[in-house]
Amino acid sequence: MTERHSGDGEERSDAEVDSALTDALRTRPMDPRALARMREAVAHEWRASVATEHRPLRSRRWLWTSLAAAVAISTLTLGWFAWPVTAPVSFGSIARSETGDVEVRSALVLHHALHAGDVLRTGDKFTAQGPTLVALSSGGTLRIAGNSVVEITSATEIRLERGMIYVDKPPALGGSGRLRVLTQAGLLEHLGTAFEVLSEGQKVRVRVREGRIRMHTGSSDVVADAGTELLATPDREVSQHPIPTYGGDWLWVAALTPDYDIEGQALLGYLQWVTRELGQRLEFADAHAREVAERTILHGTVRGRAPLDSLANVLATTTLAYELRGDTIWIQSPP
Amino acid sequence: MYESDRALVARMGAGEQRAFEEFFQASAPRLVAYASRRSGLDVASVEDIVQNTLIKAVRNLAGYRGEASLLTWLTQICRHELADFSRKAARRPGHDSLDEPDVVLRLSQQLLAPTQFEPAAAADAESYRGAVIRALNSLPERYALALEAKYGDGLSVDEIAHLLGLTSIAAQSLLARAREAFRERWLEDSDDRLNGIAQYD
Repeated sequence: MTERHSGDGEERSDAEVDSALTDALRTRPMDPRALARMREAVAHEWRASVATEHRPLRSRRWLWTSLAAAVAISTLTLGWFAWPVTAPVSFGSIARSETGDVEVRSALVLHHALHAGDVLRTGDKFTAQGPTLVALSSGGTLRIAGNSVVEITSATEIRLERGMIYVDKPPALGGSGRLRVLTQAGLLEHLGTAFEVLSEGQKVRVRVREGRIRMHTGSSDVVADAGTELLATPDREVSQHPIPTYGGDWLWVAALTPDYDIEGQALLGYLQWVTRELGQRLEFADAHAREVAERTILHGTVRGRAPLDSLANVLATTTLAYELRGDTIWIQSPP
Repeated sequence: MYESDRALVARMGAGEQRAFEEFFQASAPRLVAYASRRSGLDVASVEDIVQNTLIKAVRNLAGYRGEASLLTWLTQICRHELADFSRKAARRPGHDSLDEPDVVLRLSQQLLAPTQFEPAAAADAESYRGAVIRALNSLPERYALALEAKYGDGLSVDEIAHLLGLTSIAAQSLLARAREAFRERWLEDSDDRLNGIAQYD
């Protein structure tokens, strides 16, 4: 037989119930470092998700100017797309799709979903449901914010219908790696560069992070260097503003960084990759620190890690340390 | 009814950093507490679940229409995440691979014996807490949320009223009914366990 304790059964008073609930429901506060990590991950996702709705651009003459712009764009589009359609060729492949599918509509199949590893071809028009990384057949990457619509009009040209993209064509690719971007405001050509394009209705924003951009608006050409933002409004006016090439506004780009294979690579090459991905400069405190970076060979993997995240881990295995100083990543030997 | 929550979501949708900070600071700790209480999972799993919950929420901010409080909406997503985690856990092999660095770290942390550990007392405490959690989980969701808000989060009646979209008087009444329902379920749980033990006596 079992004896019932005084705390059991009908004898339980309000005070006992209160005490039981308080004891059982009390939880320990979350570790601040874990909370910070979680905050960073959620913030990345939030920025990428709302990227296309960031910084709404205003115009008072919306109706008339959008009509005029539409006519102009149609003219430009007809001019640029005048050549005959040929068999689809590979434009690139989906390296990573953070959320959801990439829905594509091509000449052959209507509305099917693509996943990591699938190929994108000329003639495809696709909607990235979430942040997506595309490895381009011609070299470099195309990073696409969620809810963006892109049409691949040729092997060297895309049309951004809606949303935000980031084109990264390292200078080493040369002229063969050029990619033109057609927007509502005109055509963008680059000279070995990394740049971001936001298209919202008839308004377009271009932010140049590296190299140089040329924008053909139909009536004029505008050239912008790294650290410049171009703002094109429906009345075809283009204004320029200086911008930083690093910091919070570029985090969505860092979140879609392609994987870097460190195995057997020199630390210096890895550091140059990290600083480029973050839009920062690399500086060494002294010649010794640079020499260590040159002769240190890395092993292991940083797959799936954001650049800054991996930097901390990689340097922890070396005798070097880093410090973020504004636009510079400062590498030094500990005293 | 939840104008402030809708406004917060709208500000987030517009990309306002401060709105995101308000959202995160208000939501994350409470979701962690919620997931921890409801599941009894280890800290790392709870954090993963909450992170997934928040990521799904910020990806689908347009899905929040202000029909319930933002926290209620988030807890619904969190419940799905918890259920999903349980399903996956059930399919997972019953062993951990020491080839995975995360597993090694987690296991090594579990191997650290707490100071002044008394097995019998700990088992009693765990059993007691387990009975309370079982009773709580068997309650209607609204009752459980109200009790958690009061006893777990230490919210006032007015704050609970806002959370659940009620007047203060209605919230007070709900709390009283919730506590009574809890008392009954807790008692039933104790009786069930005692009867279970008695069968073997």
